[in-house]
Amino acid sequence: MAAIFGPAANLASKVVLLAVAGAVCVGFLFWWFWPTSDYARHVGAMVVQPVPFSHRHHVAGLGIDCRFCHSSVEVSANAGMPPTFTCMTCHSQIWTNASLLAPVRHSLSANTPIAWRRVTDLPDYVYFNHSIHIAKGVGCQSCHGPVEAMPLTYKAKALSMEFCLDCHRNPGPKLRPRSALYDTEWRSTPATPGAAALLAAYHVPDRNLTDCSLCHR
Amino acid sequence: MNHASDRLWRSLEEAGGNADFIARVSQEFPNLAASLAAPIDRRRALKLMAASLLMNGLPGCDSKLSENLIPAVRVPSNIVPALQNSYATAHVLGGYATGIVVSHYMGRPVKVAGNPHHPASLGAIDAFAQASLLNFYDPDRAAEIAHRGIPAARADFETALAAQRLSLGADRGAGLRILTGTVTSPTLIAQIRALLEQYPRAQWTQWEPISRDAVMQGAQLAYGRPLELIPRLEQADILVAIDSDLLCSAPGRLRYAREFAQRRNPNRTHAMSRIYAIEPTPTLLGSVADHRFIAGPAQLAHILVALAAGIVDGASAPDPARSLPDWIVPLLEDMKGARGRILVHVGASQPAELHALAHAINDALGGRGVSFDLIEPVSNAGSAGQPLRSLIAEMQSGRVQNLLIIDSNPLYSAPAAWNFEEALRQVSFSVALAQHPDETAQAAAWFVPQTHDWETWSDARAFDGTASILQPQALPLYDGLGAVEMLELYRAPAARSAEQVVRGTWKRQFGDGFDAAWHESLATGVVPDTACAKSGARLRALPAQLNSSAPINDDAALTVLLRPDPSLWDGRFANNPWLQELPRPLTKLVWDNPLLIAPALAARLHLENGDLARVTVARSSVTAPVWIMPGQAPECITAWLGSGRRAAGSIGDGQGIDYYPLTQLPGAATLQKQPGHVRLASTVHHNLLLAASQEVLRHGTLSDYLAHPGVASTAQPEPHIYRTAPPGAAAWAMSIDLNACIGCNACIVACQAENNISVVGKDQVLAEREMHWLRIDRYFAGDPDAPESFFQPVLCMHCEQAPCENVCPVGATVHDSEGLNVMVYNRCVGTRFCSNNCPYKVRRFNFLPYAREQHRPPQSWNPDVTVRVRGVMEKCSYCVQRIAEARIAADRESRPIGAVRTACQSACPTRAFTFGNSADPDSEVARRKSSPLNFSMLERQGTAPRTTYEALIRNPNPAIGAGRKAPPS
Repeated sequence: MAAIFGPAANLASKVVLLAVAGAVCVGFLFWWFWPTSDYARHVGAMVVQPVPFSHRHHVAGLGIDCRFCHSSVEVSANAGMPPTFTCMTCHSQIWTNASLLAPVRHSLSANTPIAWRRVTDLPDYVYFNHSIHIAKGVGCQSCHGPVEAMPLTYKAKALSMEFCLDCHRNPGPKLRPRSALYDTEWRSTPATPGAAALLAAYHVPDRNLTDCSLCHR
Repeated sequence: MNHASDRLWRSLEEAGGNADFIARVSQEFPNLAASLAAPIDRRRALKLMAASLLMNGLPGCDSKLSENLIPAVRVPSNIVPALQNSYATAHVLGGYATGIVVSHYMGRPVKVAGNPHHPASLGAIDAFAQASLLNFYDPDRAAEIAHRGIPAARADFETALAAQRLSLGADRGAGLRILTGTVTSPTLIAQIRALLEQYPRAQWTQWEPISRDAVMQGAQLAYGRPLELIPRLEQADILVAIDSDLLCSAPGRLRYAREFAQRRNPNRTHAMSRIYAIEPTPTLLGSVADHRFIAGPAQLAHILVALAAGIVDGASAPDPARSLPDWIVPLLEDMKGARGRILVHVGASQPAELHALAHAINDALGGRGVSFDLIEPVSNAGSAGQPLRSLIAEMQSGRVQNLLIIDSNPLYSAPAAWNFEEALRQVSFSVALAQHPDETAQAAAWFVPQTHDWETWSDARAFDGTASILQPQALPLYDGLGAVEMLELYRAPAARSAEQVVRGTWKRQFGDGFDAAWHESLATGVVPDTACAKSGARLRALPAQLNSSAPINDDAALTVLLRPDPSLWDGRFANNPWLQELPRPLTKLVWDNPLLIAPALAARLHLENGDLARVTVARSSVTAPVWIMPGQAPECITAWLGSGRRAAGSIGDGQGIDYYPLTQLPGAATLQKQPGHVRLASTVHHNLLLAASQEVLRHGTLSDYLAHPGVASTAQPEPHIYRTAPPGAAAWAMSIDLNACIGCNACIVACQAENNISVVGKDQVLAEREMHWLRIDRYFAGDPDAPESFFQPVLCMHCEQAPCENVCPVGATVHDSEGLNVMVYNRCVGTRFCSNNCPYKVRRFNFLPYAREQHRPPQSWNPDVTVRVRGVMEKCSYCVQRIAEARIAADRESRPIGAVRTACQSACPTRAFTFGNSADPDSEVARRKSSPLNFSMLERQGTAPRTTYEALIRNPNPAIGAGRKAPPS
């Protein structure tokens, strides 16, 4: 009876076994590292918006305060997105015919809202509150990155649970003086009050800030 | 404190020690029994596991689709994203208003609470008003006008109406009839009166299936005019409740419940009240009374005559041929001793003669102005206008050409013998204004969708006459007309808007200061100084024949008691899933309304729970399953109206049995066993605590308590090597006063609305998978024919030594620093170890994707609470979202956290729940926990629960036997 396996089968079986082992290793590495990669979390990916709004132009260039558009950031969980009316306070006077702004003009005239695409989106079981972070001295840039330098807005930080906990375990070093909360050009200097002084100034409670119930309900 | 003989039991099976039953409920996973009974072979198990991984595991790896942020074009004033707005309005049931406050997120109503300014609410709210949220969002609501079942444009309807106005004008409205429910709205009454002036030959009928006509007729007999009796329970030392509906269906019941509770906790009240209930079927008031005596209708009338004979001068003696129970004498003594501080209350379902007798007794005992007031009636339903019966006769004779039906469903709920359906066919132009295409709307020539109360303007009056203005809470979800707009359209083609009409009503009332008064009334939800005046009417001498002529049936004959369903009322809430699945207070039944029969009757007919039986009254018969109700009078069968709807919507259609064919029929009933059996869904055995009664619920009598005040309280905790108190500044804790709980279920719906709790359906309830985080356990003790009953709300105890936490392999349930036992949904992998290890059985598991299958649109969920998916455990969180909100508000201003109220606490009419920071000695919860009545449930487990109870103390009359609830003679 002729042999079932020829001489080439030795090589083939080794290649197959190695390939399987390799695939398992690659698969494991992919499973382990992919979800936490910046790519999977869309960090740095610019989001295409219905209107190519430039924070660099409006914030760094024109010096508009964050709160002009994100007006509920100090009182509510949600920072708020500007209604079309806010855009048109200026754009009814300047760039009134710019084609880039056609969707904004259409929104006002047709009374249909502009659907902005989310840049940062936390899972639905996470209850983040903007107002308390602002009240306790966390500046916008700490989570949103250098928004003033973004021609098109992108997510600058991973905003993973690890990212939140890094700060919640030791919030002092991340705090800013109240005058610098919305100051996009502020940088820590040796003259900046230290972490302990800021924690005291903001009355950050001496409470366990890593309780699950703080963010998950 | 509990006596050895006071073994608590939940059902007759448990009371009788049925071996099969004990085996079934004591198994480890009762809710898996069905699945475990059908074993799965290994191959099938592997297939299912692989399929689960593919279908449920892999899609989870998908990165989430990006969502949009959609800001408004122009921001409406006062709306801030993620902040709540609240607006006052009122909930109207059977014509009577209860003040409510509706909370909105971004303009969407998501939660209803009571209005503290409103006299009928005092901040509390009932299950109906809370569940009206789902009525508002009901996807089954009608969106289009229909003419004989065919969609029509509004212009078509207005054209047809214009032609009608011409012909009505010609004969001064001879063929026009208006049919409504009870109307207390000043605007609607003014509009209908104006319409009747415009068409003088037209007639108006007010008709409610759950009628209060007997109350008015009783006052008419006694005082010569209709009057409302307003109990002042906080002033009444003794309440004699004759089949009383004070706590379950009377207008003003939330206020009465609050007043009742003020006199029930011996640790807080100056003197406990004493409540005697004499009734044929258990009511809420009877269940919490100090003495509950069972009497069928005939015996009830006999007893009341005997009481009158003992108290009222000149009242005739009771029929000497009938025996009287031996407790009558001590009861009479007690009543006379409390002269001036006593009230006899008769329920609305009792005949007018008994109401008149009770008026005479009350008048003789001198409680008027103290323990009760008599006021001018809030509504004239039942005393003015055309009765429904004669309207139907006119319709049948063809004298009615134009019938306007506003928010009434007589085709379903009018007595079948009156044959409304046939009569409606004789009316050429009939208009039904209703929210759903219900039974009547489908048969009417024109069906016009009615806007929900939250979408239009109106007004209504409360039990004491206080008016509220109903303001819209949202733009209409569907096209429709409000009652005000419809009546306006009937009068003239160029109709004013509802807002203009309601403003017009109050402009006449407020006069010059209109703007300020209008805004004040809208903001507070109450129009000041509109309560009805106290009446000065004097009691007329009772006609001689009245004293003994109460309608008396033969004792041997059966009587069917037709009562509103505790959850569905007259059927108008049948399409509301929260209410359908709300365990009825005493039977814990859901999705069903069997006939309630006494154990003795069941034994005589060899009936068991779920067996079919046919009840026949005057040739009209209904076949329905039966449920054995301890404490029911053997000669009475109780049937809840409101189920068996034919056109309620996708939730209510065909659920339960329609007993309306038995209404208004004379004569005795018969009950016959039929072949067949129905599985009834009752949660009575679910989450059974197999522990000694004393460990679960402690109770005693006032004399026990006065002798040894601390006898019920928790002993000092045993030393525990692991015990460490959580380190946080606040120590959240709850105290539940069992003296106050009346089992009304308001807390369960509040919890369900606040915490996005799913409805699971009858089949899942049968598999013991209901999701309510808060349940009210109902226990009986003593004689199964006349037991004593107890209510005990049970929710997560937030044990300091929580057994659930030790067994969770993934740390999904952990303690936080303020003592909350928190559930982290996104960690949970669904092992259910925690539920198995929970001694209180308060954890609920999402066996199926219940949340995805709810009969409600996504915008109706509470955005502050995670909506749980399949495979996740959930349980009471002490409303952690409300704590978080209060904590953030306090921290923002760097001040200590203030009061936090849980959903159950804010709904509760009797303030049975107290929640707060027990580390603060000035807090109410700390004060209640220091009460000598304080005890922990299953204390010997050593779990150190943060939720504790105040033991139930009753105040029986020492002169009435040792058996506190002895059956009648």
